[in-house]
Amino acid sequence: MRPERRDRFRDLEPLLGKVSHPARYLNHEWGAVEDQPGPFHVCMIYPDVYEVGQPNLGIAILYNELNKVEGISCERSYLPWYDMGDLMREHGVPLLSLEASAPVASFDMVGFTLAHELVASNIVETLDLAGIAIRADERDEEDAIVVAGGPSAWNCEPVSPMFDAVLLGDGEEGIVDMARCVRDCRAQGVSRSDILLALSRVQGVYVPSLYDVVVDETSTEEGYAVPKPGSGVPEVVLKRCLQDFAASDPVPQKMVPYMGIVQDRLAMEVLRGCARGCRFCQAGMTYRPVRERNADQIVEGTLRGLELTGNDEVSLTSLSTTDHSQCALVLNRLTSELNDRGIRVSIPSQRLDSFGVDMAAAVSSGRRGGLTFAPEAGTQRLRDVINKNVTEENLEAAARNAFENGWRRCKLYFMMGLPTETDEDILAITAAAKKVLEIGREVVGRGYKSGVQVSISVAVFVPKAFTPFQWCGQLNTEEVRRRQQLMLHSAKDRDIRISYHDANVSVLEAVLSKLGRRGFDLIMAAWKRGCRFDAWTNEFKFDEWVAAGEEVGIDFGEIAWRDLPLDARLPWDHTSPGISKGFLKREWRRALAGVTTEDCTFATCAGCGVCPSLGVENVIAEGHRG
Amino acid sequence: MANEQQYRLRVRYGKDGRLAYLGHLEVLHTIDSSIRRSRLPFSVGNGFARRMRVQFSQALPVGASSKAEYYDLVLTEPIEPEVALERLRASTPSALAPTKAAYVERRAPALEAWLTRSDWHAELEGTGITAEALDAAIAAVAETGAIHYMRGEKPKVADLTRTLVSWQCAQSGDVVELSLQTRSSNEGALRPAILIDAAFSAAPLAGAQLAALRVTREMQAHEEGARLVNPFDENLVISLT
Ligand code: SF4
Repeated sequence: MRPERRDRFRDLEPLLGKVSHPARYLNHEWGAVEDQPGPFHVCMIYPDVYEVGQPNLGIAILYNELNKVEGISCERSYLPWYDMGDLMREHGVPLLSLEASAPVASFDMVGFTLAHELVASNIVETLDLAGIAIRADERDEEDAIVVAGGPSAWNCEPVSPMFDAVLLGDGEEGIVDMARCVRDCRAQGVSRSDILLALSRVQGVYVPSLYDVVVDETSTEEGYAVPKPGSGVPEVVLKRCLQDFAASDPVPQKMVPYMGIVQDRLAMEVLRGCARGCRFCQAGMTYRPVRERNADQIVEGTLRGLELTGNDEVSLTSLSTTDHSQCALVLNRLTSELNDRGIRVSIPSQRLDSFGVDMAAAVSSGRRGGLTFAPEAGTQRLRDVINKNVTEENLEAAARNAFENGWRRCKLYFMMGLPTETDEDILAITAAAKKVLEIGREVVGRGYKSGVQVSISVAVFVPKAFTPFQWCGQLNTEEVRRRQQLMLHSAKDRDIRISYHDANVSVLEAVLSKLGRRGFDLIMAAWKRGCRFDAWTNEFKFDEWVAAGEEVGIDFGEIAWRDLPLDARLPWDHTSPGISKGFLKREWRRALAGVTTEDCTFATCAGCGVCPSLGVENVIAEGHRG
Repeated sequence: MANEQQYRLRVRYGKDGRLAYLGHLEVLHTIDSSIRRSRLPFSVGNGFARRMRVQFSQALPVGASSKAEYYDLVLTEPIEPEVALERLRASTPSALAPTKAAYVERRAPALEAWLTRSDWHAELEGTGITAEALDAAIAAVAETGAIHYMRGEKPKVADLTRTLVSWQCAQSGDVVELSLQTRSSNEGALRPAILIDAAFSAAPLAGAQLAALRVTREMQAHEEGARLVNPFDENLVISLT
């Protein structure tokens, strides 16, 4: 039974004095849409605490789009931290929305952001706290329709049993189509199963319950999904793609939170998609094609957004901001407008070449923190394998430029366990760090006082669906440890600092990336063992996850570390970002041969299949790049 | 901005409703962005961080409401105080809305240390609480001269001989109302909730249970001998003409 929609803030209020950061639960932030007349109500949820979820651009975009539609209202909710969650359970208060403090379970539609693999246990916790049946097939006729979408929808099989429908690709138009579809069906008194059928007819919508998982000799034991007989659903659900990205609102995030949040600044999405073609990068493969806003729109949108929000920083976000064809122009215009007003401009990361450093210098207005580069691999050979089109000379020129421009600290990001990696590649990581350090000492001077420092951060490679490396196994933990030791012993300079990501986190990411629908049993078992907030370093309980795996017969090593046969049907083959499997296979072969593939926004089409299959194309503001 | 003009606008604001649960830094952050949204010509510091020149009165405890919080904002143009107030009201969440604004002497002392006196109003609900018992319990606590309490992991002492000025209790139906006058010293201020907590451990309130507590700051002033100086005192406020 769906609970009644009513304001329950009074029930929550007595708990506020007893929890950490009560501001997480207050709402009525500047810019929030307080008026929620409905009559069709949607609640968008980021399944982590408020300050992590609030900056999420995806939710902000969908929130605006839905609230624009006559007759549809959209609110937000986040997962309460342990202290509040426990108190709510103790006092019989279910999860509430922020705007109207209404029970989340009372909404017509509830939407989750799949921000990354590690939110899986939090989704279970959120549904449970809301009092919504965790499995879609256990929901009653009247219950909320629970949907999801976001970057991690690319392989959503393990979480799919929780969702009535999953939206693939760009959400801004699809979410409105979905809400309208559910609303119209409800108005006609259509049954729940017919609502799901209707949703499956909306382009980009995948309805998991209408697909059977088949395991046979053409697949691995994860199986593959086929339409249920007679359902009429597509064999492959193709993603939504917003061709006219430039026409969308450049500053969707209009809310100003009370509490200091993780990214406390105005976010301007300057472009969407990246065609560099790094072979490990899921976002690069799934967000194609590239669509830029033009300089005027970026500058005007930023100024308007700053006026609206009162932020003192703007971040030009995207997968590759410094690749924007008008990047220099935009940064010059913005900094000359904003520097005198005490407003900072930031770019999330810079391209690994001299131009990237010039851009970082353009926005830094004299401040020189650390500068971050991501060569990803130590040798040219391995960089060619992963198609990171960066040369030794690029790195050295960038480092020299950075030190000459006043930076003293450089941070280099690398991955370990990339396909074909050898000890030589590992040793090359520290060699690259030493080279950068040497350049720094040459430019700035030797001795302790020069302050020149290089740090390297090394993550374990996680093979992801819809990348040319989707068939690869992850490097096993024992070998990861050995290579880490090898690296540590090869870096003797006190001015080189090495840090590692927790290898166990990468193992779980790999497991959740590779599992099929049976992965849901693992997630449930882990949640029952108390796993949640897995993305929080201090909360991550790897041993519980492994034990949960043993309970349900899933061996982490077997899933994460084995290679998949190139011709096997994969558990995510029925969802598609438009990239063709043929292209991915070709890229895999080119990787093994060490042959690189050029960025189609700088050179010619690489034939990934996205443009023809979706009827879209790259949109470059300047007309060309490079 | 070596030779920019500077005008010090003093603003009083409240903290109301659910925003009582905002922490001090969250209030500062919210007002900072409200001022930016108002598009008043605020002055920016010269440091690398280029911060807005604004100074606030002492932190209000989390959970307390207020009718009398203050900040001083330096403007580079003499905007009419009424106009400035209106623009700030329009750009600030209503629960933190400014209620008064006037220019004060450029060299007036900073609010935080200068505002040493606060008047509070508290409403207590629960079982076994009467005005008389509360009055007697506070008297018993005051008698001891100090409250020892924990703030997080840290042990703290509130010196009541300096910080507790006076109090009055009254019954209003099921609710007990407490008026409290406190003084802050260099060592810190007395939080009403700390005093009330301590009172519930004193004999006159033995067995009583506090179910709900609402605390509001009613007034802040500077104590000059026996006189209380209001932040908008006529000797401080200057007119633009
Ligand atoms: S189809 Fe061609 S142009 Fe379009 S994104 Fe793929 S490689 Fe680039």
